Amino acid sequence: MSPEMVSQLSVGGSTLVLLGGLMMLWRRGVAAHIGAFTFQSVALAATMAMVGWFAGDWQLWAVAALLLLVKGIGIPLLLKRMERRFGSERELEPYVNTATSLLIGGLLVLLAYIVTAPLVSVSRLPTRTGMPLAIGLVFVSLFIIISRKKALTQVLGFLMLENGIALLAVLGTHGIPIIVEIGVFLDVALGFIVMQVFVYQIHETFESIDVEQLNRLRE
Amino acid sequence: MRPWLLGPVQAAVALLLAPGLVGAIRWMKARLQSRAGSPPWQPYLELRKLFAKEVVVSSNASWLFRAAPFIVFGSTVTVTLLVPLLAVPLPFGGAGDLLVVVYLLLLGTFFLALAGLDPGSPFGGMGASREMTVAALAEPTMALAIFALAWGAGSTNLGQIALRTLSMPSEALAPGHVLAFAAIFLVTLAETGRLPVDNPSTHLELTMIHEAMILEYSGRYLALIEWAAALKLLVFFSLLGNLFAPWGVASVITPGALLWAAGTLALKLLALGGVIALVETHIAKLRLFRVPELLSASFILALLAVTASFLLR
Amino acid sequence: MRALFFLMVTGYATGAAASLVLGTGPLARWASTLAAVVGAAGGLGLAAGVCMGGAVFSLAAPDLLASAGGLAFSLDGLGAVFLALTSLVAAPSALYGAGYARAWDGRPMQRQAGFMLNMFLLSMSLVPLADGTLTFLLCWEGMSLSSYFLVMTEADHPEVAGAGQWYLGMTQMGLACLLGAFLLIAAGGPATFAQLRAAAALLPAGTRDLVFVLAVVGFGGKAGLIPLHVWLPRAHPAAPSHVSALMSGSMIKMGVYGLLRIGLDVLGGGPAWWGALVIGLGALSAVLGVLYALTEDDLKRLLAYSSVENVGVIALGVGAAYLFQSLQMLPAAAFALAAALFHAVNHAAFKGLLFMGAGAVLHATGTRNMNRLGGLIRGMPWTAALFLLGSVAIAGLPPLNGFVSEWLLFQALLPGIGAPSPLVAVLMVLALGMLALTAGLAAACFVKAFGITFLAIPRSPEAAAAHETAWSMRAGMIVLAAACLVLSAGSFAILPRLSAVAAPLVGLPAPGPVLRAGLTIQTPDGLAQMSPVIVGAGLGVVVLVAWLAVKGFASRRPLRVGETWGCGRVVQTPRMEYTSTAFAEPLRRIFAEFYRPTEDVSIDFHPDSRYFVHSISYRSAILPWFERYLYAPVIARTRLWSERVLALQSGSVHAYLAYLVAALVLLLGWLVATGRR
Repeated sequence: MSPEMVSQLSVGGSTLVLLGGLMMLWRRGVAAHIGAFTFQSVALAATMAMVGWFAGDWQLWAVAALLLLVKGIGIPLLLKRMERRFGSERELEPYVNTATSLLIGGLLVLLAYIVTAPLVSVSRLPTRTGMPLAIGLVFVSLFIIISRKKALTQVLGFLMLENGIALLAVLGTHGIPIIVEIGVFLDVALGFIVMQVFVYQIHETFESIDVEQLNRLRE
Repeated sequence: MRPWLLGPVQAAVALLLAPGLVGAIRWMKARLQSRAGSPPWQPYLELRKLFAKEVVVSSNASWLFRAAPFIVFGSTVTVTLLVPLLAVPLPFGGAGDLLVVVYLLLLGTFFLALAGLDPGSPFGGMGASREMTVAALAEPTMALAIFALAWGAGSTNLGQIALRTLSMPSEALAPGHVLAFAAIFLVTLAETGRLPVDNPSTHLELTMIHEAMILEYSGRYLALIEWAAALKLLVFFSLLGNLFAPWGVASVITPGALLWAAGTLALKLLALGGVIALVETHIAKLRLFRVPELLSASFILALLAVTASFLLR
Repeated sequence: MRALFFLMVTGYATGAAASLVLGTGPLARWASTLAAVVGAAGGLGLAAGVCMGGAVFSLAAPDLLASAGGLAFSLDGLGAVFLALTSLVAAPSALYGAGYARAWDGRPMQRQAGFMLNMFLLSMSLVPLADGTLTFLLCWEGMSLSSYFLVMTEADHPEVAGAGQWYLGMTQMGLACLLGAFLLIAAGGPATFAQLRAAAALLPAGTRDLVFVLAVVGFGGKAGLIPLHVWLPRAHPAAPSHVSALMSGSMIKMGVYGLLRIGLDVLGGGPAWWGALVIGLGALSAVLGVLYALTEDDLKRLLAYSSVENVGVIALGVGAAYLFQSLQMLPAAAFALAAALFHAVNHAAFKGLLFMGAGAVLHATGTRNMNRLGGLIRGMPWTAALFLLGSVAIAGLPPLNGFVSEWLLFQALLPGIGAPSPLVAVLMVLALGMLALTAGLAAACFVKAFGITFLAIPRSPEAAAAHETAWSMRAGMIVLAAACLVLSAGSFAILPRLSAVAAPLVGLPAPGPVLRAGLTIQTPDGLAQMSPVIVGAGLGVVVLVAWLAVKGFASRRPLRVGETWGCGRVVQTPRMEYTSTAFAEPLRRIFAEFYRPTEDVSIDFHPDSRYFVHSISYRSAILPWFERYLYAPVIARTRLWSERVLALQSGSVHAYLAYLVAALVLLLGWLVATGRR
């Protein structure tokens, strides 16, 4: 593969990963949100595999496979079970309406492009071209967590944030040692389990997983 | 063949193919929904019938109502002289670029909206108001997508954009190119009144946009407007087909090459028509106030297309 | 040249004198109009001479106001463009005014309006000719004051007085900023522009920035850039319509002229953020201007907001020129500037036309509220056709001139995407998106303006009884409509001249980038072309062929006239039509977060059952933010302080004497303290 091609592919792959995040802002249904996350994780795994192939690094392949398994298949299945248990609560009234959220998402991507320009210019790797989009995804995920009300959506935002960081690491440094990556995975898995319990508790207490209900705890 | 004849030839081919395209989409949709459906050539028969029928005009309507169909039809046909349907570069290529095409189509929309207001019917007003809303919100996407394309080709000249992709085939799959395609596809749905923005087959007044605007038209005026609408769909499809995948377009003007170009164009139109039929079978119409969400999604795609072009320079 | 200059000055001066001397009858009206037309012809000739010949016209009059250094006039390319656009609107406005002012025959306002109109035209034509601070400020203030008196012509309406106050307040604030800017460059007092240029070159960077910001505030206020636009939607509707046409078509452009004169000519351009500032203000004004225009029900206020939008669009081009110049992309800068200048000229033509059309409507029906208009196309076919042409032009649709300049501005912003700095590239992308949104919304806005006003069934008896206007008023509109056509068809000939004007301002040698190839116009790199003539001709031919074909082959059965279809309802009334408010409703809902309308619904139920409704009243208003958050606090604060100061005004002679003594003692004390004798 020529370096130009790799540049193109990393922009293409990162764009798909980012689109997964933006889809979260666009759609309302829980099923669509889970779908967006699955799509994003698969795209991320594919991008990693592509970089692994280019760099000739088997570890990246392994990480990609692991990612596909955990985030592409495992977590979506768990999430679907949660959805079944709690009933699908749609994100009907987010703090920021859908069209505005999308525009803010776009602005965040442009912001990421501006702030990463110095970072990109020092890198010599052909995959550096996708880095602004990875940072963009980090911003967008944070925005999802801030602007959405349902706990499930926020969990997904958190998972997407992690995807963004993984993407950044892969594009910026051609990967992280597999040990570190496994550690991060465990961390995320733990966080996910904690949140699942948390979401369950919210649901038990309020009969809803709308985190706005938490405001009532003050009283 | 004289080069200047290419314009009229393109217009004639487009005028001939357009009703067939609409018919084919309707037929495919019917098949996908397990209905027998009317044959693909039905729109030709409808046009013939409409041209032969009597015209009824509202007593409230002014001369504008009678002039508008000609302006709508004329502006759309003028566009077919500028868009590379069959060959690049075109003899009139220097007279208008992609922006001219977009704004000529907007000129048609402008007059159609005025004609909708003219008879004083509440439906016409509603259609005009909604049509202009959708058209206005689609503009930014269109502009950014155009500039994502122009950024690669160095120019908004249609021939130039097509030629660049022809000379560098790998560019056709570049992220900026693909995203711009997706953005323009969504705009096509909005601008040509397809689902999920507008339902082309409904006649339930309150959900209509385009149909509500032209509710008062009949006879030959309606025929012109229907034909222009089909032509507009064809223009958007051929922009999608020939700017993003310009293979088959003639670069030398010989009868054989032109025939081949017409054949590939028809295939591309059918393929895109199939996609539309599929989309329309699968999704429901959006509420009017959800349409901005769709359009901002298309705007984001166009924005990402421009960003991707930045990243790869 | 000198002869043309004197023709212009004497023309306007004669007009002013004629109004004063000849009384308040038709004779005075026509004499002053004729003189104004002669003056405008002189101005147009002078501008054309400078534009074509390329030589600078200059004339010094050191004996006038000799104690302050004398007056000096000179006209270069930049000034010529603005003199041309002023003269372009001046003659039709004067002609139109002759018909419009007939209602004032025999009343004192006739004399005042005729005099002030000519003074306004004279001072406004001299602004781009002024060479030096004294001359410039004199003409500037003359322009502002005479237009203020024109706005106040019909001062018996209460809203007019309020509008005048806003206008005067904003104008004087702008003047203070300009004085500050001039004094910062040359502290010594009056100076010619050449002296200012020399002085500006030696200024430290911080002072230059300050001068530029003051110029942006001072000239931006005159141009109507948001948030300094507040006077515009008040003063334009209040003024007589030919004055609105002049104010909107020409006077606000003088703000753009000043910004270019000070920023690019005197200061010679600056850092990139100058451009970014102007682009930001421009984008804001363009989008917000058109959004407010859309929801407006008052036809003239709609046009006024649309002027804010168009000034924003011009500012986008001007800002891009500043930005490109600072990035050393000189051909792109010259191109952007030429595009902005062309849009300024085009806007003068179509906005003048539209204001006159609105004036004709007001004249015929007595209302500007579109919800009470409709169906005027039958009673006023000429006005309707001309207004339609203006609407198509201002909506930026081919093949008219509005589209040409819009196309140029799009192309002018495009090179910015290639700028090395990511910040600039992103700024340009956002500016492009805003420009496109503005264009789309403008189309919607003018479908509403024309469609609701002129089409369908009249919504009030006044609208039903509307009659066509006087010939002189129609003549004024016809001239500007013809100008729209000429500016579009002749764009390939006009643009090279504008390019030559723009090039030296950004530091390129004289001919500037080539923007013409045969009948087509093109970008400086020659890669994108467009020809309004060929597109227009093509459109004409296709429409003609279609018409002939339909006439020849389609059914020959005669038209049947029937009633509008209405779902089986018995009779159609105007109450069933879409109104101006209804037309804008979808966009108002979509941009609700931005408009934040106040809504008030009260439903009067039937006493027996809640399922039957007696009446529903719905009231909704949009108060622009700027007024709520920017101006209201300032005004409230000022009022508060004024009231405190009012306490001093006790009315007692003893108290006043006490103030005098106190002031005297303080003054003496200060003299002693500073040790002066």
